Amino acid sequence: MTERDSDTRKAAKGWVPPMELELDRAAPVSAEEETALLTGSGDPAELLPAPAAPVRTTRRLGRWLFGALAALVVVALGFDTADLLNRAFATSVVLGVLVALLAATAGIAAVAMLVNELLSLRRLRRIEELRAEAGRLEVEAPGGRADRFAGSLVALYADRRELAPALARVRDHVTDAHDEHEVVRLLDREVLAPLDRAAYQRVLLASRDTAVATALSPAALLDFAVVLWRNLKLVREIASLYGARPGYVGSLRLLRRMLANIAVAGVTESAHHVAVEALGGSLAAAISTRMGQGVINGLLTARVGLTAMHLCRPIAFGTDNRPSLNRIRKELLSVPKQVL
Amino acid sequence: MRIPHLNDLYDAGSRLLLESTVRVGVTGLRRAGKTVFVTALVDNLLKAGRLPFLDVMSSGRFQAARLRPQPDPDVPRFDFEGHLAALIGPDPHWPEPTRGIGQMRVALRYRPDSALKRAVQPVATLNLDLVDYPGEWLLDLPLLRQSFAEWSALTLELAARPPRDELSASWRGWLATIDPMASAEEETARRGAALYTDYLHACRRADTLLSLIQPGRFVEPGDMKDAPLLTFCPLPPAPGRRVAGRGSLWALMEERYEAYKTNVVRRFFSEHFAKLDRQIVLIDVLGALNAGPAGMADMKRALELSLEPFRHGSSGWLDWLLGTKIDRVLFAATKADHIAAHQHAQLRALLDRLVGDARNAIRFEGAQVETMAIAALKCTDSVVTEHEGRQLRCVRGVPVGRDRPTVLFPGEIPEDAEAFPPGRDRPYNFLAFRPPDDLGRDPRGLPHIRVDQALQFLLGDYLL
Repeated sequence: MTERDSDTRKAAKGWVPPMELELDRAAPVSAEEETALLTGSGDPAELLPAPAAPVRTTRRLGRWLFGALAALVVVALGFDTADLLNRAFATSVVLGVLVALLAATAGIAAVAMLVNELLSLRRLRRIEELRAEAGRLEVEAPGGRADRFAGSLVALYADRRELAPALARVRDHVTDAHDEHEVVRLLDREVLAPLDRAAYQRVLLASRDTAVATALSPAALLDFAVVLWRNLKLVREIASLYGARPGYVGSLRLLRRMLANIAVAGVTESAHHVAVEALGGSLAAAISTRMGQGVINGLLTARVGLTAMHLCRPIAFGTDNRPSLNRIRKELLSVPKQVL
Repeated sequence: MRIPHLNDLYDAGSRLLLESTVRVGVTGLRRAGKTVFVTALVDNLLKAGRLPFLDVMSSGRFQAARLRPQPDPDVPRFDFEGHLAALIGPDPHWPEPTRGIGQMRVALRYRPDSALKRAVQPVATLNLDLVDYPGEWLLDLPLLRQSFAEWSALTLELAARPPRDELSASWRGWLATIDPMASAEEETARRGAALYTDYLHACRRADTLLSLIQPGRFVEPGDMKDAPLLTFCPLPPAPGRRVAGRGSLWALMEERYEAYKTNVVRRFFSEHFAKLDRQIVLIDVLGALNAGPAGMADMKRALELSLEPFRHGSSGWLDWLLGTKIDRVLFAATKADHIAAHQHAQLRALLDRLVGDARNAIRFEGAQVETMAIAALKCTDSVVTEHEGRQLRCVRGVPVGRDRPTVLFPGEIPEDAEAFPPGRDRPYNFLAFRPPDDLGRDPRGLPHIRVDQALQFLLGDYLL
């Protein structure tokens, strides 16, 4: 009997009986975050969760080699520039000043570019962090973190005028009764769905462009260049659409990750698609080699674009809204007809 | 150039061919909030401002909704305007509960999603028929399968158990004094039925919120009051396996029980239930938690019974009648605004446990089943407050019968554990809150919790 009583007391230790409490001391759930969400202000870096320590296995030797080579080049350039300046000043003061100005411009431009690249890389990393956070929220729903996530996403798109109505709608709809899962879904549907549609349109356009260009171009080298240029442009367009605005290094990094993705998994799901694509391609190839190549290049561009969509989206695609190659494939197979 | 006549003709034709209709049954055991749910749902559809999770809204394809005359002229209309006025009027109060069936039709205009459908018809119309009927009628459906003897045995067994034993004392006392095999007297039958009806009324009024009330028309007779159909009651089996002779009390009661089945239950089934496409069952889980373990057990039993009509395929007993075509069933724990928002998941988990077995059975038969924690009208806010150094998540609202708002910590539903841990009496205290003031000023419709998700589950595939 006494044992049971003590058990009960022990169990009751962390337990609070139902009761009414003072009205004045109660604060709305997560007040600060909500105001941040409402105004869209607040430093996004502050709103973001602390970035997890990067877990990367780099080949250290390669890094050393690369670093040393880069330093060598910089030093060599410096020596050469100094040498050049000396010689220019020796020849004439005017020439010297001119060369000095040129060197300074080059230096400043290089630094500016570097800063730009670093910023763009940070934006990309922020999107990746957001995506990871969204995934965590979907699985765990720990309570009280949804507003923070919404705040950082809203901050990401705060300066986009065309998204303002969607953001306003989200602010309007989110109440204290929504849990993390629902807030993420709401953002996904209201803010990202229109972006998805726009991105898909661009992918469609780009893949048609490459298909037509390949089909019509007289030289193999030319269409290789066109495809490369169009793909790069597409990736940057999509990344900017989702708020990443990548620089050159950012785009290259995206491209590299995309190549890995394309090689390993393919954009959509499976070998089934590849088989169908190959079939579709060979069918078109039967009509004309050039056309076939065009279609295949178009499909490749489409896959690059869709992978870019996957990589740049702040919330990962679900099973129901992931973009599919199907429509693009249909569109592309009609290209021969359009060209002929 | 427009050719008006041709256009009119086309319109008429497309209305005839291309308007689709979906009948959604709304039911729930007593005090589950059917009336408020239907009112809030219709109001939100008409104003279309707070339904972000309804796909047709979020994709911008929704045009507008309008009330239309209902299709069945012999069914009372759901008094939407009256109930809405009660909620948003100058002195907001909860509307009078509906007794009996009610129906209303809302027409939804939207642009179809698929290009094919759009080519045929740029704007589609869906007629949404809401049929609101008492949960007791749903509880009546399993009677169709039970014989009088079986039903009597079950009911008597239940009545002898606490907490019902006290409520049924006088009726059971009367049963002990009569001999079911004696020849029938109308007076005896009436007396038995009256006592049994009193017992059912007492169950309904009880603080423990007893939900299992059979037959339903005994407490809500409507136009059948005092009809012979309603003058019977369960009888104990005769001692020594005697067969009831003709003209005995047992035979009379059995005859009336069968008549009740044919004229009331079967009629409800074929006229209303069998025509439903979708069903939402509202359940006041919090009320049952408030009532304690006995109330909870009673609700579980009532739920199991009321779910039986949906698992029709497994027993086959309804197949001979038309066969139900309900392909989506939603169980919703109502009044979710009485607990803090972070508890909604636990509330849903509790509901999952309550309906778990039936859910699997229904899924096995091919219908989709979903559970949700909803609030048709959100009356409270979630707030955080400090208590003895701990952060407590509470709800803030104006309780019924008071003027000033209060902050209430109603108790927390434990995760993955018994809802009633041993050693704590009254672990929950859910207060009833008043509808907030000035609801009518908001042009977006009544505030709610997850009514849009409920709608998406019930209608989403019709609005593609």
